[in-house]
Amino acid sequence: MWMDFGFEFVNFYLVPGLVLGCIYALGAVGITLTFGILRFANFAHGELMMTGTYLAWTFGAVVLATTGVVLHPLITAIPAMAGAVVLALLIDRYFYKPFRDAPTIMVVIASFGMMLIVRSAVQVIWGPNQIAFVRGIDKPNAAVREFTQSIDMMLLIPNKHFWIIGGTIVIVLLLHYLLEHTRIGKAMRAVSDSPDLARVTGINVEVVVRATWIVGGMSAVMAGVFLAMDTQTLETTMGFRMLLPMFAAAILGGIGRPFGAVFGGLVIGLAEELVAYPWIGTEPLISPGYKTGVAFAIMVVMLIVRPSGIFKGRTF
Amino acid sequence: MRNTLLATAASLAFASTAYAQVSVGNPMAMTGPIPDLVAPMAAAVDLAAQHVNEQGGLFADGQAYEIIRADSACDPVAAVDAVTKLINVNGVSALIGPVCSGATIAQAESVSIPAGVVTLSVSASSPAISTMEDGTDLVFRTAASDAYQGVALAELTMAKGIKDIAVSYANDDYNAALAATFAKEFEAMGGTITANEAHEPNKASYRAEVATLGSTSDNLALFAYYGSGGITIMRNALETAAFETYIGADGMLSDEVIDQLGAENLGGATFTTSASDDTTASFAAWKAAADAAGVPASDPFVPNAYDAAFMMALAIEKAGSGDRDGIAAALRSIANEPGEHILPGEWAKAKEILAGGGDIHYMGAAGPQDFDANGDVAGFFSKSEVVDGAWMAEIIK
Repeated sequence: MWMDFGFEFVNFYLVPGLVLGCIYALGAVGITLTFGILRFANFAHGELMMTGTYLAWTFGAVVLATTGVVLHPLITAIPAMAGAVVLALLIDRYFYKPFRDAPTIMVVIASFGMMLIVRSAVQVIWGPNQIAFVRGIDKPNAAVREFTQSIDMMLLIPNKHFWIIGGTIVIVLLLHYLLEHTRIGKAMRAVSDSPDLARVTGINVEVVVRATWIVGGMSAVMAGVFLAMDTQTLETTMGFRMLLPMFAAAILGGIGRPFGAVFGGLVIGLAEELVAYPWIGTEPLISPGYKTGVAFAIMVVMLIVRPSGIFKGRTF
Repeated sequence: MRNTLLATAASLAFASTAYAQVSVGNPMAMTGPIPDLVAPMAAAVDLAAQHVNEQGGLFADGQAYEIIRADSACDPVAAVDAVTKLINVNGVSALIGPVCSGATIAQAESVSIPAGVVTLSVSASSPAISTMEDGTDLVFRTAASDAYQGVALAELTMAKGIKDIAVSYANDDYNAALAATFAKEFEAMGGTITANEAHEPNKASYRAEVATLGSTSDNLALFAYYGSGGITIMRNALETAAFETYIGADGMLSDEVIDQLGAENLGGATFTTSASDDTTASFAAWKAAADAAGVPASDPFVPNAYDAAFMMALAIEKAGSGDRDGIAAALRSIANEPGEHILPGEWAKAKEILAGGGDIHYMGAAGPQDFDANGDVAGFFSKSEVVDGAWMAEIIK
């Protein structure tokens, strides 16, 4: 049974799907928060994710060059998060704030422009070439493989995937605490539900906006670092490529619903990988060449059938 | 009065664009999935322009041969944008490039052919380019069609004793066409294609694809650009040891592959590429010039890029002006027999012969650049394997 079905399914479809889902989930959290609180689709979110990852790599490379210490990517992510948050706040202050009272389409276009500006700036600073984030091949964890093989359920999971899945769980728990049990988190949810009502109850909306960029920026950097840990390379369109599935995840979960976004991310990630499984016969159910189409199809069906998403988010 | 002003303005504009210099557009994939491969190609184009300008420039009055570079990003949409700007805003006389087949076809169909501008691609190798023109003669290339590389790859695979192979290709004009040619030739030689699947470029994970293909064969023919999925597929395959041998082509042949995956993991990989016959006098002349300028003479498509830029200058000189109309015919004239043989860098000699009304025949650095009816050239191929941590190329006879 395990060799016929489980081995291939779990190792080559389920676990990679979960890993991809975790990355989508963290990216979608930032998108759904800015969408819910600032009320616009931030196209520059992918570039924030990419810039943060470049900062993480740079910090790691500088430390390696000066002290000879190889830092784990998760440690280099901490200063990178600070850098990305500063970038997000500066962009908001100088490019989005002037449009705060303008029609939404103007700030959406501004974010599209920001996307191109940030990507070009990164290409100028770091160059258009790919950069190796972690060199070599990460073979499956030997201890896990031997143990699971001894009970006839061999799992082939590289260490990086344990880090990604474990790290995502920790971040989602922290996010839950922030949103449910802190004052600023409650204020963020209040603004997301109704900005006007929140304003008359005395909530400082600008503070909430800044908090949104901080939380969104930090989770974007984590998504970017996890993505770079998985693919082990950096390049300047890595964020843009993830944008569509992340939007699909945010819409699936419901706009303004961070946990909906996490759920949506996992669903999209799993769906993309699992549709290629040979469910019927020996051919892939859907050719893997059309994986992106699956995320898009889920998004379109969701918008038609239930525009508010699974967790009843905002509709526009 | 108004007419006089217009006429004056027009003649001034004419004077500034047509007499001071001749501009040629060079839409290269400076960003995108293969920047490492393109940078030396762009340097080779600049070197050719430098040779032309140092040895007297164009025409009797020594006009400058100016290369206007743009970024086609190996992407059809970006290429159309870049070429539209080059033709409409910069008013270039002709185009050298783009690099990738998909970008070349897209810009030719929607911009350069309708505008009547000659495209001389430096590395687009899709067989589809041979037959894309209908009644015009505007698209040329200095790189050989993959109709030949597919055969070379199939023969190479057979020579390695591989009888069955799974094929994975990126869904674009270059990779899909090459995969189709390879599969057809390999089966004609008695081999078995166990699976033939497209993959979507730029995904974070290809583990599902690798698992599906890996269950059918121990050998993988991978047609992809290294920077838009090729490295990730190889990494996912190597992580689980899904395949023993990897066969591929130009798009994967980059030092970046060794840098990211580690030479110790690439023992089973062989990639082919368009190559130059390094025994000719032309190649020797090119290599001397390239070495002096610090351009890597033998890298994929670098001599082809030099040939394209140098031949375009010869064609403009032969045509006698930067007018778009005469360039295609002049390009055929200087590339094919009859004529006195011109080696790379011999601009002053070529100019003198052309000024005296003689014919020339340019002998390319990358090989004989004689255009056939489709604007294609024949070529050589080499195979590369990792030896001592670097790609080692060997010409396939």
